[in-house]
Amino acid sequence: MSNSDMSGNKPAIDEKTETRLKQIRSADIIIGIPSYNNAKSIGRVIKAAELGLAKYFPQHKGVIIVSEGGSVEESRKSVEFLGDKRYFENSFISRPSSETEIIVTKYRGPSGKGTAVKAIFEAGKILNTRAGCMLDADLRSISPEWIELLIAPVIKKNFGFVAPYYSRHKYDGTITNMIAFPLTWALYGRRVRQPIGGDFGFSSELIESLLSKEVWGSDIARFGIDIWMTTVAICENFRICQSFLGAKIHDEKDPGKDLSPMFRQVVGTIFSLMDIYKEKWLQVKGSRPTAIFGFESEFAPKPIDVDIENLIDKFRESVPRYLPVWEKALSTENYDKIMEVAKMDTDHFELPIELWVKSLYDFAFAYTKRSNGLSADEIIESLVPVYYAVTASFVKKAQNLDCHQAEEIINQQCAVFEKLKPYLVNRWA
Amino acid sequence: MKKKILVVDDEKNIRLLLDEELTDEGYEVIMADNGETALKMIEEEKPDIVTLDIKMPGEDGLNILRKIREIEYDLPVIICSAYSVYKSDFSAVAADHYVVKSSDFDELKNKIKEILSYEP
Repeated sequence: MSNSDMSGNKPAIDEKTETRLKQIRSADIIIGIPSYNNAKSIGRVIKAAELGLAKYFPQHKGVIIVSEGGSVEESRKSVEFLGDKRYFENSFISRPSSETEIIVTKYRGPSGKGTAVKAIFEAGKILNTRAGCMLDADLRSISPEWIELLIAPVIKKNFGFVAPYYSRHKYDGTITNMIAFPLTWALYGRRVRQPIGGDFGFSSELIESLLSKEVWGSDIARFGIDIWMTTVAICENFRICQSFLGAKIHDEKDPGKDLSPMFRQVVGTIFSLMDIYKEKWLQVKGSRPTAIFGFESEFAPKPIDVDIENLIDKFRESVPRYLPVWEKALSTENYDKIMEVAKMDTDHFELPIELWVKSLYDFAFAYTKRSNGLSADEIIESLVPVYYAVTASFVKKAQNLDCHQAEEIINQQCAVFEKLKPYLVNRWA
Repeated sequence: MKKKILVVDDEKNIRLLLDEELTDEGYEVIMADNGETALKMIEEEKPDIVTLDIKMPGEDGLNILRKIREIEYDLPVIICSAYSVYKSDFSAVAADHYVVKSSDFDELKNKIKEILSYEP
């Protein structure tokens, strides 16, 4: 993770917005929508937020804030386009006695989702809100019920953090399935199925805690924000639950075709957090489930095609390039086994899960300790082809399984992460 | 001090069998034949772990599990059901473990021992 940028410590809310918030004085609920040029889809999200507030929290005062990193003008046009709000009548939902305030603001500071989130938290603090939720701006599957599911556990059941629980296709969310979910399970002992989901609920106490951290100028202020918030909530003993939101429809990606900076920032954040919270995870033994709310609908997520051969080829092609890094980062045993896997033909190709877990633990150790002369970027980059290899192995295994059966495999893999945790603890010691 | 296990099952024979098996393992066993009684016992008796059946008259075990998580957020719960089909119900993820009932209690006993040894 890059060093903290001083600008990350300055307010992310501009003066004009702060003045407006102070005029509003207070609100019970804040709904934040971090956005980057999502004018095309943001109208739908705002409508769902307004309807959800009116239907499920009619006695509460709510404020919706769009924290924009791109064109504020375009987002404002989307709000204006909501017009006379006939969607209340169309949805058979009574309009609130006082209209929900919708604020569109351009955040200040390092560009990225983290700063957008920070501006929303600052707004929540100014308004002294009791609870809130964050919604991705490009959601296509959102409904007003999401607002209840993300906020009611905070207001009615005293939870501090509400993580989303989505119905996803078995090949969707491979960074979550192969890295974020199992590491959260094994390291911190809490089974949170979507620790990097973009839609979540939070209490005012969690806002206070998160705003007090000095991380807002780092890589966390980009894609690492979601895993960071989940980890802080776990490690600082906030009551956590999950809400089943149904399908999350977004632009799905073949994990071999589009691996954005997201991988580097998510994985880098997870590894960095291991150092920050080492006193916690080194003590944790076993794992605990997380409460869940909601109603499960029988909805089959849209299938995703994964090009297995492409993943395997990318792994094999990367071997010569990353050999010097792997030699330093991996234990001799794991290095030798990965070399064996690289020689396998496509039909029999498999990176065993135990090897993946131990190798990932090696990479985490190398990243955090840096005693081997490797840079953080080198370590994360060299992890990518191994991640391709384990993803290909998972896809091969899950090919003839339905989503529930594939989920069972993911849970079994998490249990392997937990079982092999002493390997990491011993390396750390 | 003996660890206390609450067995929640509507079938008397299962309760008696589990009582015998778990008492032999050195646990104190308390029992409830429905969810409502179980919730009261959780508040009054403060068990260390719960084994919970799903198919019971009145509220089913998954609904009871949700209520347990609200009153005792971190109380370990093992679902112990004759049916494996509920394992794929999303509500079941709030349980620590899911055991399909059989005449062999080893899996259940091992899981209880394992979960009670966890350090949060």
